[in-house]
Amino acid sequence: MPDNAIQLLLNEWLLAVFNPQKRIFWGYLLSSLFIAILWLRLIQKINIQSSFIKIFNRNVWGSASAFADYKVMFINALLMTLLSPRILAKATVAYLIFDSLHLLFEGRPSVLTGIPQWTIALSFTLFLFILDDFARYWLHRWLHAIPLLWSFHKVHHSASALNPFTVFRTHPAEAILFSVRSALVQGISTAVFFFFFGNQVTLVMVLGASIFTFAFNLLGSNLRHSPVSISYWHPIELILMSPAQHHIHHSTAEEHIDRNFGVALSVWDWIFGTLCHSKVGEQLNFGLSGTKLTNPNTLKSLYFDPIQEAGRILLHFANQLILPFQRENSA
Amino acid sequence: MDIVIKRPKTTLAALIASSLVFGCVFAKPDMYGNFPVTEKSYSGKKKDSTSYTGQVARHVLHNSLKKLAGKGNGNPNPELKATMMSYYSSKDAGRKIIDPTSKGEFKVKQTMVDEISKGKNLKGKTYKGLVNGFPGQMSGPEVFEFLIDKASSSNKGFDPVTGYNYPQLISKFMMGAVFYSQAVDNYLDEKMGADNKPNNKPYKKGAHYTGKEHSWDEAFGYFGAPAHAMALNAKQAYGIAKRKDIKVADANGDGVVDLKTEMTFAHAYYAADSDKAGTKYMHTIVDAFIKGRQLIRDADGAALTDEQRAKLMSYVKVIKTNWERVIAEAAFKYAGSCYKDLEKLRTIVESNGDASKAFAAYGKHWGELKGFLMALETSGRSLGEAGVRMNRLVGYGPVLLGGGQVTGIDSDGNFLIGGNRSMGEYQVHMVKLQKLLGDTFKLKARKNDVTGEMDDLLKSLGSSRAAEND
Repeated sequence: MPDNAIQLLLNEWLLAVFNPQKRIFWGYLLSSLFIAILWLRLIQKINIQSSFIKIFNRNVWGSASAFADYKVMFINALLMTLLSPRILAKATVAYLIFDSLHLLFEGRPSVLTGIPQWTIALSFTLFLFILDDFARYWLHRWLHAIPLLWSFHKVHHSASALNPFTVFRTHPAEAILFSVRSALVQGISTAVFFFFFGNQVTLVMVLGASIFTFAFNLLGSNLRHSPVSISYWHPIELILMSPAQHHIHHSTAEEHIDRNFGVALSVWDWIFGTLCHSKVGEQLNFGLSGTKLTNPNTLKSLYFDPIQEAGRILLHFANQLILPFQRENSA
Repeated sequence: MDIVIKRPKTTLAALIASSLVFGCVFAKPDMYGNFPVTEKSYSGKKKDSTSYTGQVARHVLHNSLKKLAGKGNGNPNPELKATMMSYYSSKDAGRKIIDPTSKGEFKVKQTMVDEISKGKNLKGKTYKGLVNGFPGQMSGPEVFEFLIDKASSSNKGFDPVTGYNYPQLISKFMMGAVFYSQAVDNYLDEKMGADNKPNNKPYKKGAHYTGKEHSWDEAFGYFGAPAHAMALNAKQAYGIAKRKDIKVADANGDGVVDLKTEMTFAHAYYAADSDKAGTKYMHTIVDAFIKGRQLIRDADGAALTDEQRAKLMSYVKVIKTNWERVIAEAAFKYAGSCYKDLEKLRTIVESNGDASKAFAAYGKHWGELKGFLMALETSGRSLGEAGVRMNRLVGYGPVLLGGGQVTGIDSDGNFLIGGNRSMGEYQVHMVKLQKLLGDTFKLKARKNDVTGEMDDLLKSLGSSRAAEND
């Protein structure tokens, strides 16, 4: 493995707990813990000891489902390090867009040069955050709606006990899609803003992460996959996705299927009709409700069942395509 | 002609003091020179075997020719053409130094080319191969004669019909086709062979230097660095070429700048220009030259062993790689300048302003870019696909306001203009060219980088690789 691959493996994956650009950064885990304790103590009136028992529930963190999450996280770290150079890069997208804009505008117009730099920086940071969240919503929705994609996404939904590391319970095929999505969002946003505003464009950051990503993670993003179900006031749940709303997304209940695809913002679910509000104290079961994996907590099943299923879908699709020709020949 | 570099203690003290005043400290006081005579067959009185005055004379011929190329009045001028040709191809005595000359306190010791070295020309040392990237399928000397002819009848060196700036095209290509090509494809190439110009024989009959000593000196001379370059920082070395500070240039403290050893010329100037942005090209190259020369001196007039030659070739590699980068850095810089010029031109044209000055600046920068790119292809090393792409991206001329571009030369030597390329498209070509140069030559200074800040912005976003679900 070349040196830069080892560096990538360490910085991007194995040391993610020290990287404020990653959701499982220790600071975000700590803030999530703090929020969870506050919620359990102040809203649910549970004493401190019981709160800790609920948060660090052995049946969750020590479950077979959770152990599968941990193993997948490390295996994917290795796989993604090897695959990364072969996946569409954000710089490729950015240069393509930057070049194309020159052709579209027959040069590079200097526009709105009187705007204060901080306004441009804030606009860029906000635009990037919103476009990213919007792209996440739609890709997530397609992962559920398109059978071929669902065969891979069901790996994530096969988790029966949610913990912050469930976020890594992802099939590599899906990870490639997420990477392409990020490359497109980052490449497009950067190129468009840089084309019009040049060196005035910067990212408003806290601890090296976008201020909005930082805020989202600091405000308990890790609780989306956790034993603690925090609801927001319903008007807020129209705009921001509460951890409890994401729990609903993982629920096996019939009425919860294909609800709450959003990540930081629930406004997309509201606009496109997939929103479901949370109910305080609602008991949910997590996992797959329809076609299940043969054994959802074994690596063989998690990695190879989706490939088999995707193969069957593709074969069926190919048969459908050639069927009219076969009929024609037999006639 | 021999050179004796004096290093009196007072001069060094003055140099150190002056450098402290200007906010720098000498890192290494090494100088290129004062290498004793090791040639056994020599029985004369000369003590220093260092010799590269022929190269300095050619630097002066080049500088002077560049000045002359900007003297035209817009009409055919046979007299100017003949003068230019005398600096390019004749070896006649009596040629004045037109540049560099004294400027204020910056007093130059020599006023005539012959005071440096007699009987030198540029044509004899010009790259003889086909010049890639220039229309007309011409050899190096044919291109210069063609450009000299055009320059002599242009108005102050600029042709608004084609956008060609002749002083820049001539100068930047000549630095490659004569100095760089001679150094890296001759003196540091075949003349470093075991049996070619060996160290146990004089360079030529009766010479006080060996074959290897003089070959090495000639390559150093073509680079154009002052002998005391290691004691100068980038800003100082750059300033010498601009005739700014005699205290920094006058290493021997005699009150005048000796062009033979104290001037910054050609690619050494561009190395210093890049180094102002943080690279170390000038010191890396000069250091390798000094170490290589010391190695040859230590052989003490004996043929170099295989081990010594292998070590010497390691210095050659450093010199060639970094020298090539210096030229590529300059091309990178002017590609960025052209990009900015096109942006300015767009604004002026949109507001119906007078674009003539901005267009001339664009032509000047394009001439520099083109000259440096053509120079890159004179090293004897094929640039392969990268070379083809560079030439295609830049074309034979700058894209004109109407969208045309030089496409060739007809049988009468007139430029053909055609095509319809938008300025926006040509800007994209400049962006692609910078990327190509940066990647091919692993550039570091990257002056006028059009997309450098976009790259930084992309980096600040962190990795786009994600195995994290929603």
